[in-house]
Amino acid sequence: MTQLVQALALGLLIGGVYALMASGLTLIFGVMNIINVAHGALLILVAFITWRIWSLTDIDPILLSIVMTPLMFGFGWLLYKGVLSRISGSSPGMSVLLTFGIAITIEGVLNVTAGNRFRSATPSYFSESYRVFGISLPKAQVFGCLAAVLVLGLLYIVLARTWTGRAIRATAQNSSGAALVGIQAGSVAALAFAIGTATTGVGGSILSVLYPFFPASHYDWISRLLGIIVLGGMGSLAGALVGAIILGLAETLTATYGSLQWSTLIFYGVIMVVLLFRPQGLFGSRLRQDVMA
Amino acid sequence: MTLVQSLRQRVEGRRGKLVLIGLFAALFLYPVILPFAVYEQGVLLLAFLLALMAVSWNIISGFAGYVSLGHSVFLGLGAYTGGLLAEKYQVNPLWFMPLGGLVAFVAAALVGMVVLRARGHAFVIITIALLLSMQVLVTNFSTITNGSNGVNVPLPFWSSDYQNMPFYYLFLVLLLATVAFAAWVRRTKFGTGLLAIREDEDKAAAIGVNTTRYKVLAYAVSALPIGVAGVVYAYFLSFINPIGAFALLTSVTIVLSALAGGRGTLWGPVLGGFVVSIVSEVANVYGGGSQSRLLVLGLALVLVVLFLPQGILPAVSARLAKRRAAKQAVEYTDQAGVATARTPIVVTPRSAPSAGKTSAPLLEIRGAKKSFGGLRAVDGVDLTVEAGSITALIGPNGSGKTTLFNLVTGAMPLGEGEIWFDGTRIDRLPPWERAHLGLGRTFQITRLFKSMTVLENVVAPLPSASWGLMAKDAVSGHEAERARELLDFVGLGRFGQQQAGALSYGQQKLVELAQVLMLEPKMILLDEPAGGINPTLVNRMVEIIRDLNRQGIAFLVVEHNIPLVLDLCDPVAVLSRGQVIAQGPPSIVRADPAVLEAYLGPEWLPAEPVPDVVLDQPSLSGKGS
Repeated sequence: MTQLVQALALGLLIGGVYALMASGLTLIFGVMNIINVAHGALLILVAFITWRIWSLTDIDPILLSIVMTPLMFGFGWLLYKGVLSRISGSSPGMSVLLTFGIAITIEGVLNVTAGNRFRSATPSYFSESYRVFGISLPKAQVFGCLAAVLVLGLLYIVLARTWTGRAIRATAQNSSGAALVGIQAGSVAALAFAIGTATTGVGGSILSVLYPFFPASHYDWISRLLGIIVLGGMGSLAGALVGAIILGLAETLTATYGSLQWSTLIFYGVIMVVLLFRPQGLFGSRLRQDVMA
Repeated sequence: MTLVQSLRQRVEGRRGKLVLIGLFAALFLYPVILPFAVYEQGVLLLAFLLALMAVSWNIISGFAGYVSLGHSVFLGLGAYTGGLLAEKYQVNPLWFMPLGGLVAFVAAALVGMVVLRARGHAFVIITIALLLSMQVLVTNFSTITNGSNGVNVPLPFWSSDYQNMPFYYLFLVLLLATVAFAAWVRRTKFGTGLLAIREDEDKAAAIGVNTTRYKVLAYAVSALPIGVAGVVYAYFLSFINPIGAFALLTSVTIVLSALAGGRGTLWGPVLGGFVVSIVSEVANVYGGGSQSRLLVLGLALVLVVLFLPQGILPAVSARLAKRRAAKQAVEYTDQAGVATARTPIVVTPRSAPSAGKTSAPLLEIRGAKKSFGGLRAVDGVDLTVEAGSITALIGPNGSGKTTLFNLVTGAMPLGEGEIWFDGTRIDRLPPWERAHLGLGRTFQITRLFKSMTVLENVVAPLPSASWGLMAKDAVSGHEAERARELLDFVGLGRFGQQQAGALSYGQQKLVELAQVLMLEPKMILLDEPAGGINPTLVNRMVEIIRDLNRQGIAFLVVEHNIPLVLDLCDPVAVLSRGQVIAQGPPSIVRADPAVLEAYLGPEWLPAEPVPDVVLDQPSLSGKGS
């Protein structure tokens, strides 16, 4: 019984972190209809930078996200303005190829500069845990999840309460309609991409503590995150949240009752099953596509 | 196209062929002339392999437009199939080449059946997930696969004096076979259908292309050659492990090759395969080893997407064509072909519609409903179309006409109600099966496959679900002949080789009609056949419709040109706010107060008695679109 509660608690903590990472991906997809395959590589990039700063200065890695988030916001904005906006209007296939290329490039840069080795940030509380009602909650997981939930809350407020947020949501639902009421699609896309990328600033910092990583880890991460947003329904933030928690739970339960090496397959399995029975995901909606005229 | 032009093209085509034959002859002779260039042979044979994979990838991702980022999974599947069996039974792995291909084919077909039913992004995600999960699976099932320790494949049976020469020839022959296979696919109706899917998937479904079957089959056949090559690859490496066999880097090079060479072209991926493998080899040797190779490949992919998205081969041939065009006087395509005489043609529908059950109407819509959120676009429509009739469907904008069309053809699922066509209930059938029953439609805004030629557009439709028909040649032979006849029939026979997107709007409407006729329809739904085209073409269109109707094809016409409707159609049905408010002969419908109210609003009071001319006024006909 304790084992089950322990697994569920860990699953929820991990799910919170996944939710944050997936929210950026799903936001970008929702607004621009682009699958940002480079999202995982950006996470690993942030994890590397965080790890490097931590090992040099001993500043808390999770706290470093306060610096990394605005940095990644700027990087995302530049990436969109400098690279992605050049192919806006061409087929979605091309944008996938482009972000795939960006992901490989980032991996290559990390390979050359940081070397192909496993890394992990280990602050003082790394191996400590809180004990609550007989279950142990690793401090790193708790801090990570708290940071993630905090940022998710901020993201929600921005999207729900600000004009910018409304513009982003309007563009996601109907970009030509949004353009008609005076929203500049280009700048909204840049903003959404920047915000989506900014979430990797927090996500990557947390990742550097919670998981060992090396340059090619980004494939694992992008498949996890894609699994989450496919399950939740692509483009839906609520879906990403629910999908993340379901998959976080599924992962820890598999690891607890099955074996660790099979838990990674859970994500791929889930993607297949969801597509088999509900191609639009849990929260996705099927839109009219054929009466655009 | 003038005779001179076509002759010149033929000469140039032949010159291209000669160059290719020369190149491949040189590649065949190379090891004979320089038997000790072992390193060069090794580089070349890997280039053959990469080119082979790029050509295969091109079938699903170039022709059909569904990008696969994990195509190297099939190389791994082939390699493990051959490697494991050869190790277990200690036999020559090459015996398992067909099996390797089969395993890849079946795996792709199974995955395709799950993800390719729907459109959109799921496919690309699955292709990455498939590759990574195979890596994990092969590692985890260590009792069978020996896990991450890998498999030792039996060594080549030939004397070491021959080095890699047999592999060189094996890969070269496999490459040529794959190119021939891809060329054949491109020539068939199946290939034309794949291009149609890439251009406009919904439209392809509307003209009888079973899009799910096409996509799944395209994915499976694009896996097959790679599976075969994977067996040879395992033999060549003589050792395989999960990370090496299911490498993402291989997928990156495949994608990059096809893209750089020219996605969707036949020889582009071959060219790209050679360029990428040689460049990456050079980068390896002079650029600081394999550490930086990833960086180089990633950057190359980004740069190609940004600056050379169509690829080397199409870019070069476009430039050549431009230079050629500059030398020649501009030749205007004349409209005369449309206005002058056309050959009479018999477009007999496949069978006399519903012989024996003449009492039943050809199309029957019962209580059809469809809402979008809170909006009831179609709200309980009952409508029948008798065999042999030209029925009109008119109504103000937003009354649900096009939505009703979409429900009948299956472009959208029906909310409630039933739709029967020629004795079959069709409202649950996919669009292509409705087309196979003999139901065709045209679109309000024409939806031709713009980058394909006019002839290819007309060859693409599939009147039945037969597999044999898919394999039929689309470039010459019976199918193309039929398409040419139909183009002649609508008066556009001379435009067969033009790009469809280059035609005028009215001509496109006629091509779309010819396209539908290829289905041998019993009934055609026309969505504003006269909308936005010039009066000469309108007359022409009316003439064609009458002609086809005389041959037994029924029509359901949505049209805002009321005089034309009253002249051409009988009966006329009027739709307003999602419901049929009147149906009957034109003379009765035009005087129906409910119809006048729907068009002109409740405040409008007719002067007594209702003037005959009201609905003939041009202001009304302009009210639409």
